[in-house]
Amino acid sequence: MALSFSTTNKFLLNNQQILRSVLILSVRYKQRGHIADHLVEHHRQSALGKLKNGAAVDAFPPKDDTTKDLRTTPHDFKYVYPDFLPNPIPYLRDRILEKLERKDMFRRRQQIDIPEFYVGSILAVTSADPYAPNRRHRFVGICIQRERHGLKHQFTLRNIVDGLGVEISYELYNPTITKIEVLKLERRLDENLAYLRDAPPEYCTFPFDMEPVKLPPGAGVPLNTIQVPITSTHWQYKWERHDLKGILLPSLPRSVRKAAERFGEPWRQWDIMRQYRTEIHDDDKAEIYEDIEKHKEDLAQYRIDSKENVKITRARPKAAGRKAILDNSNRSNMSTSK
Amino acid sequence: MNRALQTVCTRLFTRPLLNLSSSSILPSTAVGINFIPCAWIRREKLTDQQMRLRYKKLHWHKFYDDKWVQRRGGGWDEKITPENVSFMQEMVYETYANKDSPLKDGPWQRGKFTIDPETIRTGVLGLKLGTLPQWDKRGRKFYVTLVQIIDNHVINYTPPEMINFRTLFTTRPLRRDLHGKVGMLVVGALSCDPRKFTRGYNGLFEQAGVPPKRKLTRFFITPNSAIKPGTPLYATHFRCGDYVDVQARSIDYGFQGVMRRYGFRGGPSDKYGSTKFHRKRGTIGSGRKHKVLPGTRMPGFMGNKLVMMKGLKIWRINTKYNVLYLMGPSVPGPNHGYIRIQDSTLYERKKMFTETNHPPFPTYYPDDNKSKSLDEELFADDIYRFDQPTLTLDDIQVAPLTAPRTAAKTAQKKK
Repeated sequence: MALSFSTTNKFLLNNQQILRSVLILSVRYKQRGHIADHLVEHHRQSALGKLKNGAAVDAFPPKDDTTKDLRTTPHDFKYVYPDFLPNPIPYLRDRILEKLERKDMFRRRQQIDIPEFYVGSILAVTSADPYAPNRRHRFVGICIQRERHGLKHQFTLRNIVDGLGVEISYELYNPTITKIEVLKLERRLDENLAYLRDAPPEYCTFPFDMEPVKLPPGAGVPLNTIQVPITSTHWQYKWERHDLKGILLPSLPRSVRKAAERFGEPWRQWDIMRQYRTEIHDDDKAEIYEDIEKHKEDLAQYRIDSKENVKITRARPKAAGRKAILDNSNRSNMSTSK
Repeated sequence: MNRALQTVCTRLFTRPLLNLSSSSILPSTAVGINFIPCAWIRREKLTDQQMRLRYKKLHWHKFYDDKWVQRRGGGWDEKITPENVSFMQEMVYETYANKDSPLKDGPWQRGKFTIDPETIRTGVLGLKLGTLPQWDKRGRKFYVTLVQIIDNHVINYTPPEMINFRTLFTTRPLRRDLHGKVGMLVVGALSCDPRKFTRGYNGLFEQAGVPPKRKLTRFFITPNSAIKPGTPLYATHFRCGDYVDVQARSIDYGFQGVMRRYGFRGGPSDKYGSTKFHRKRGTIGSGRKHKVLPGTRMPGFMGNKLVMMKGLKIWRINTKYNVLYLMGPSVPGPNHGYIRIQDSTLYERKKMFTETNHPPFPTYYPDDNKSKSLDEELFADDIYRFDQPTLTLDDIQVAPLTAPRTAAKTAQKKK
């Protein structure tokens, strides 16, 4: 199954939310006052533009034609770093825009540790709140969806507080978020767990003082194959239509089941062009992952340097401590590169 | 409009005026043909609807305008061998590399930035890249539009004496008090191979000594901010924290109905038994007048016309890629659309410029800053930079929920 970019709420029957963007799927042929995408790149790299005292100075360094060994890009990086994926709408993409956006994202990732998590993991997010007693607001919940690309990347946490279901949507790169901890790292069978709203409350209740669950080093991300029963009488969306693996549907009338079969568009599994359109091009993948690797090296160096600075202020630096830090950094590099 | 005003003025001064008391309003039926009340002449400001009717017919439906100089040339298959093609490309590059730059004698003498006779600087021609979110120091999110300034050069300068305003301002009026006082600067963006264009078009760039440009635009400036043709323009022409006006051609939506075009509410769906009234306009008449009023809002072509947005703040400048970060996600136009950027003409924003505090005048020259190199990224004061630590908002004071009780209230309560 190709990775689905859940930028729109795909549970809505008429796709009401995306009416406006559907109209502007691409630039109209009669549109004036713009240039084609390939011409933009041509002008940024053209030799004529670089004449005359740097009119197009270093706009984009020329690409080396050496064939990149694409096997260095791990196949699952798009699941580990979904915020680095490009904009799913192709005509809204721009190379310089994405480059500058990624720069900001890496700078933010140096200030705060943004861990790897998936839909179905339990997170605790601490954000700065001037109205809270300690000026910090901590919320624990299960991640039910991860949306949008780049700096706009959001994730939603759900929990039941005092009998009331609460969902909070956080922007991953919001500078007021002070800490993101993963209390329990796991995956579920679906990419979107909005059906938990119609499930019994015990499936989304998590205590705020939950202890983090430690996984053995080198283990993969566990898959939770739990099947959540949908017991609510009124459903928010028609769950039977969306091919959700992680739910246990009650017995449905025959007409409903037939409609669900038709809605699923069973011929899509043979739609190669759609799969091609939704996947990211290898060149893009390689470019993004190059930047990520460089950032990881910078981060590891930054961590070592900062810890060494702390050591220097102490009277007697411990040799064992320094070794433990180096081992830790090596282990973290190994586990993240898996 | 000039003609009408002339005739009105001549009529005024040749016929005797009636005594008008300031408080009385003369009825139109009591006057003869020759009497024109003074109020009509002074009321040059047209209403929004009248302006729209007068200036809405812009020639946007033509594919390209050959009114001035024919632009497109070549385009046929000349059957050149690949070696010759690369040779031609090298020749083209070398002609422009070896051409004497008009700047070798140095730029023109710089004018002085004056406030009292106001100074208008050039603008710049950019390309819209897209939108990004940014945060301010209080943790509030806003969107910015990135605009890249690729390959801008000044092509031509016309002093005010040589400009004929009657021929120029047929579709958009320039301020009347500037007539005769502004010169015209032609700025071009995106250098191209001269073989794509006609000889006439290429001749426009002889004076500047630059390769012919894909897009030209003009800016009206005061003579003290004239720039020598051939000067490149950069993103640092503006400063962070300054405000700009932006003009661009908006997104083309095609033929649209009244609901999308003007935001009409339409009618109910079929669920409520509505018969054939879902997205219609409804009535077009007004009861008394036996005609459809001009300017009645109806379905038609939407978008693809010049739109201006005023007072956009510049939050960041990236000097390596010449990118401006402008406030707001709604800069008109599609991605990779041309944008004209100028200093803002809003009154409060113009007041911010003084003799000592003004943007680089007439433009940013890299030679000015040779002693210290320019930072790659420049920021406005109140934006959050991502290499700063997390915003803890500890210094923000929050008003208490209950207002503190005053002495008077306490006394009242005790009674």
